[in-house]
Amino acid sequence: MHLPDVTIHHPASLAEASATLRRLGPRARALAGGTDLVVDLKTRRVDADHLVSLARVPHLRGVERAPLGAPANGDLAGALRIGALTTIAQLDRSPELRGSLSALREATRDMAATQVRHTATVGGNIAGAVPCADLPPVLLVLGAWVEIASDSGTRTLPLVSFFTGPRQTLLAPGELLTAILVPPPPTRTGAAYARFSLREGNAIAVASVAAAVTVDDAGRIARASLALGAVAPVPRLVELPPGPERSDDDAIADAARRAVAASDPINDIRGSAEYRRELVRVLAGRAMRSALERAREARP
Amino acid sequence: MTIACTLTVNDEPRPVAIEPGDTLLDVLRDRLRLTGAKKGCDVGDCGACTVLLDGEPVNACLLLAATLEGRRITTIEGLARGGTLTGLQRAFVEEGAIQCGYCTPGMVLSAAALLARHPEATREQVKDALAGNLCRCTGYTAILRAVERCANARPDGTCARRSAEDGRPTPCQCPPRGDAPARPGLASVGHSVPRVDAADKVTGRALYTADLSLPDMVHAKVVLSPIAHGRIRRIDASRARALPGVLDVITGADVTENTYGVSPARYDEELLARAKVRHVGDPVAAVAAIDEKTAERAAALVEVEYEELPAVLDALEAVKPGAPLVHDRYERNVNTHVAHDFGDVDAAFAASHAVREEVFTGNFVYQCPMEPQAAIAHWDHDGTLVLHSATQAPHYVQYMMAHVFHVPLGKVRVIRPHVGGGFGVKAATNPLEVCAALLARRLGRPVRIVFSREDMFHYYRGRHKQHMRFKLGLDRGGRITAFSSEIHLDGGAYSSFGVATAYYAGSMIPTLYKIPNYRYNGYRVMTHKPACGAMRGHGVPQPRFAFECLLNMMADDLGIDPIEIRRRNAMTPHTRTVNDLDIGSCEFLATLDAVERDSAWREKYGRLPKGRGIGVASGGFVSGAGYCIYRGQVQMTHEKGPEKFQKKSIFPHANAVIRVTEDGMAAILMIGAAEIGQGSDTILSQIAAEAMGIPHTRLRMKSQDSDIAPLDLGSYSSRVTLMAGNAVAAAGAAVADKIRPYAAAMLGCAPPAVRFAHGRAFVEGGPPEGVAWEEAARRYFNEHGPLVGTGCYKPPEGLGGDFKGATVGTSPAYSFGTAACEVAVDLDTGKVRVQRFTDYHDCGTPINPQQVHGQVEGAIVMSASETILEDVQFDDKGRVLNPNLHGYLIMTIKDAPEIFSGIVESYEPRGPFGAKEIGEGATLPVLGAVAHAIANATGVWIKDLPITPEKILAALHGSPPAAPRHRSPTCLPTASKG
Ligand SMILES: Cc1cc2nc3c(=O)[nH]c(=O)nc-3n(C[C@H](O)[C@H](O)[C@H](O)COP(=O)(O)OP(=O)(O)OC[C@H]3O[C@@H](n4cnc5c(N)ncnc54)[C@H](O)[C@@H]3O)c2cc1C
Ligand code: FES
Ligand code: FES
Repeated sequence: MHLPDVTIHHPASLAEASATLRRLGPRARALAGGTDLVVDLKTRRVDADHLVSLARVPHLRGVERAPLGAPANGDLAGALRIGALTTIAQLDRSPELRGSLSALREATRDMAATQVRHTATVGGNIAGAVPCADLPPVLLVLGAWVEIASDSGTRTLPLVSFFTGPRQTLLAPGELLTAILVPPPPTRTGAAYARFSLREGNAIAVASVAAAVTVDDAGRIARASLALGAVAPVPRLVELPPGPERSDDDAIADAARRAVAASDPINDIRGSAEYRRELVRVLAGRAMRSALERAREARP
Repeated sequence: MTIACTLTVNDEPRPVAIEPGDTLLDVLRDRLRLTGAKKGCDVGDCGACTVLLDGEPVNACLLLAATLEGRRITTIEGLARGGTLTGLQRAFVEEGAIQCGYCTPGMVLSAAALLARHPEATREQVKDALAGNLCRCTGYTAILRAVERCANARPDGTCARRSAEDGRPTPCQCPPRGDAPARPGLASVGHSVPRVDAADKVTGRALYTADLSLPDMVHAKVVLSPIAHGRIRRIDASRARALPGVLDVITGADVTENTYGVSPARYDEELLARAKVRHVGDPVAAVAAIDEKTAERAAALVEVEYEELPAVLDALEAVKPGAPLVHDRYERNVNTHVAHDFGDVDAAFAASHAVREEVFTGNFVYQCPMEPQAAIAHWDHDGTLVLHSATQAPHYVQYMMAHVFHVPLGKVRVIRPHVGGGFGVKAATNPLEVCAALLARRLGRPVRIVFSREDMFHYYRGRHKQHMRFKLGLDRGGRITAFSSEIHLDGGAYSSFGVATAYYAGSMIPTLYKIPNYRYNGYRVMTHKPACGAMRGHGVPQPRFAFECLLNMMADDLGIDPIEIRRRNAMTPHTRTVNDLDIGSCEFLATLDAVERDSAWREKYGRLPKGRGIGVASGGFVSGAGYCIYRGQVQMTHEKGPEKFQKKSIFPHANAVIRVTEDGMAAILMIGAAEIGQGSDTILSQIAAEAMGIPHTRLRMKSQDSDIAPLDLGSYSSRVTLMAGNAVAAAGAAVADKIRPYAAAMLGCAPPAVRFAHGRAFVEGGPPEGVAWEEAARRYFNEHGPLVGTGCYKPPEGLGGDFKGATVGTSPAYSFGTAACEVAVDLDTGKVRVQRFTDYHDCGTPINPQQVHGQVEGAIVMSASETILEDVQFDDKGRVLNPNLHGYLIMTIKDAPEIFSGIVESYEPRGPFGAKEIGEGATLPVLGAVAHAIANATGVWIKDLPITPEKILAALHGSPPAAPRHRSPTCLPTASKG
């Protein structure tokens, strides 16, 4: 299999990358790790004449705490900044994935295989907007934001509003995803990711659910949310309304019911819609339960 | 647009001219001629292309070379510096972690990167690091052992694995093996010597067909039908021809009416479709161009106008009156009907204590070798066709090419480079071989064609999906009274091996248990899907699965232990089965006892917690088919006229020549037996060495070239060890006999008293160090010229009964085996983890125990994978929904169970040094054992393969299995998109 004839551009700055993409229009694609794009080009799912490699654009790599100072957006004070070009393997090894953020490692660990993880980028996993991508659900329950930049400026917006359809996002022509910003989670928060695939190694998710739970001093659920992957056109965030006092089992069952209701799965070779709904129920329960346990174990 | 770039490969700057869209893999292979990185899928799924980028493993097929300037690239060729293998490479060689070797370079590089980062990696880390490298041969067991050995190796040779609690070194965790010691007096046979080709494979030096490049070679692509059934109205190749770089386009209009196939009575494949297409993927045209990219693009530009016709996609629909016919000559689409009836089945059922009838359904399982099929053809000036091909049956390819091109067999030379696994899919002549030869003749240049992974699925020739209605009768004690079966085999659009498949599906059932009354009705049915063929265990795994399940169900019904019920029915040595097969050596009972003991069966069966289960099943196979696929002598079909069947082999099925070099220090073994990864080159050189009395390291194999090696029928029906082994043993003995008088003269004794071993000649009471073998050989040469020994093997005459189809299933010897499997099932999702296998086999006396275990481990993982994961899926238009390795999932190292493989003591007088087969027999117990374990864990029997989590959950919830429904494709054939 071969790619169509393409020209590769190697911009050395964000402004140049953005201008190049804008100038070339829909026949151009940003190239990050290429693990999706190269396959899509070979199989002709995507047609493009120009690839704009982001490899030489500075400041797009790394996992670090946002510098102190007053960020434009109060929600993001002290946020963890994950550069879009950070590979999945680099994210997996980052010492910053501690506490409730370590749920991200549950996504990076089971995603694809070593070789792909060393090439694939965090930005590509999100900007590609493939419904079964593994990072979005965890990032959604962690309340992540995306940082989008072009030659005419930078904007940040909540990840939940970023996806508009399968393989479609809010990115305007010439815009690039430059970073993911994960705000520091509230104290006593636990998060977890439960994923189901047909094979133990190197298989995409048939269904996945992330959960984040914050508990109060008494260990009662104060806030909880779930996010679903692979079972709807876009990753879906399900905020769980603060419920009445009830047992953990009831709360978890309720969460699972809401997750199933929010899902909108398809039939495909990996499973029927009915089966996927059943998986959502089971995975939501499992993710909720471990997020809750972790929240209670978390030191304030 | 070509651009100049400099890549740093294996620490050397390599300036190279590339296209911006070229992947690193294509640049390494095609421009830098570093072919150690293999192409197994081209889309990131298989890991065969793994290289290191700045020390980390990556898929070279996903990276664009133009983006890699300044990065450090390491390929397998850069690992062993100065020709010295690294410790990791040595471990791969010595632990038997290499079979076909196609996955090996990638596997080794992934492991090397892991060990560089984590010198004491845990088992979990090893599995995680290798999960992106698929292997279809080894079952990963030996690979894990090799990498763990390195992770744990200390300079003093002890194992550094620390126990979790106290951190002290513990002995190696590698599972023990139950080998009997080699028979006394044998120096090569019976010993686990490393493979003769392992060092070449572990360094990337072994060349596979697609790695070869001949001077002036051009590249071709086959254009495939995008529809399942239709008439070709018009083909317009003008746009394809106009593409710069295109050299030739051929269609059905350019080829003869000659048809080809496998069974002479049913040659029904056209060279290229002339009027009709019969499945998605049917070859309609072929395009040759200066490079593969151009050929691929031109193939998409060939415009074919079809008149679409109604297609029949289901075997049970296809036999109904009025169903569209795939071929006019097969009424109601029945390609073959087998009607076997032995004893009085109805009376026996009526008199039985218990009778149970069940319906089972199989799946479309694809062999999925890691190496795609490839062929390179050219014609010599004297009109000889020279064909390099990734084939497992070079002689049948030669025979078929002679038939297709109307040239004598002597004018067809088939060269079989290293082959990256076959499992049956490379046993028949394929459109690549035909089209490459057609184009090469027109162009006067060598033509190479390589299948893409997607093409492979459209050509298929994998397992038949069998619809099985089985009925078993038992007496009060659980003894079999009668068995009857009706099977519809979905065969796809061409006969291929299907006639034999339909017979095998019935004939092999009575070899394992004593069945006094036996009936089999088999229908091989044509449908508008890619043709099915012969896959490891040929026709038998699905019926064996069904039979073993039914036996286990009835054991439960009667309250008899499943192993005990097998014991009560087990085949015994020197028995003629109800369908006239002659069982010789048989240690089936010993396999049952050993598995019962080593799996802790009694402690576990019925005593495991819910969600955990153990199951058992048995199986066995032929050691080579008793008869050749074609009748008569070695000669073009059309010259021979109608042949009457004779109950004997007309010509020897295996033939060997050994030539000793003039100094007596090396021996060249020439035999056409096809090394496809199963290890035949190694065991044949061991047998030759043993027969001559020299160390096996003095042997060199010449098995690749039909101009050099005499005829062997090929690697199918598990025939090579027994048949080629016997031929080689005879050739070795002939050499020994020739030099015996010279050795006798040196020793001062009578020739019959001379004994050869270890490269020396001895006589009772003579000098203990004997005399040098090579000196005797030199003296022979001085007198007679070349020291050559030849040997051949014909199966015994008169094998089988006198009924129609009695030949299928005949064999000089039969193997037997039993396996216990343990699983854990997630009762909420239905997901199965196959945890452990305990397997014992009667393969006769092993020539090389390590290789026997390698076959067993590979067979267990392949078959467990087909039981729970694998199924080629079609949409309602007959298009394959999962023609790739992310839609068609095979087990990774993380999915593979822990395996204990054991060999019971056995000796087969008809085999070389007592050996029988292992390659296919090892698959047969597996499917039933997994299914039984799942039933044991969940309380529900799934009778429909594969046993997916979804089916398990539906059964647990008591809902009927989901009805067939619309499935979205992941990918469509290239041709339909062009
Ligand atoms: C064998 C295999 C297995 C896989 N398994 C998994 C899996 O288990 N889970 C999973 O989630 N994914 C999986 N993937 C998909 C893929 O690897 C990931 O989604 C990966 O993170 C994509 O990142 P990339 O850098 O390779 O993206 P690319 O292929 O470079 O880009 C993907 C898309 O995003 C766009 N893009 C990339 N970066 C930016 C940016 N910064 N700004 C704007 N647009 C951008 C590109 O233009 C393109 O359209 C697998 C892929 C393969 C080949
Ligand atoms: S060829 Fe690259 S992963 Fe298969
Ligand atoms: S040895 Fe691994 S694929 Fe053959």
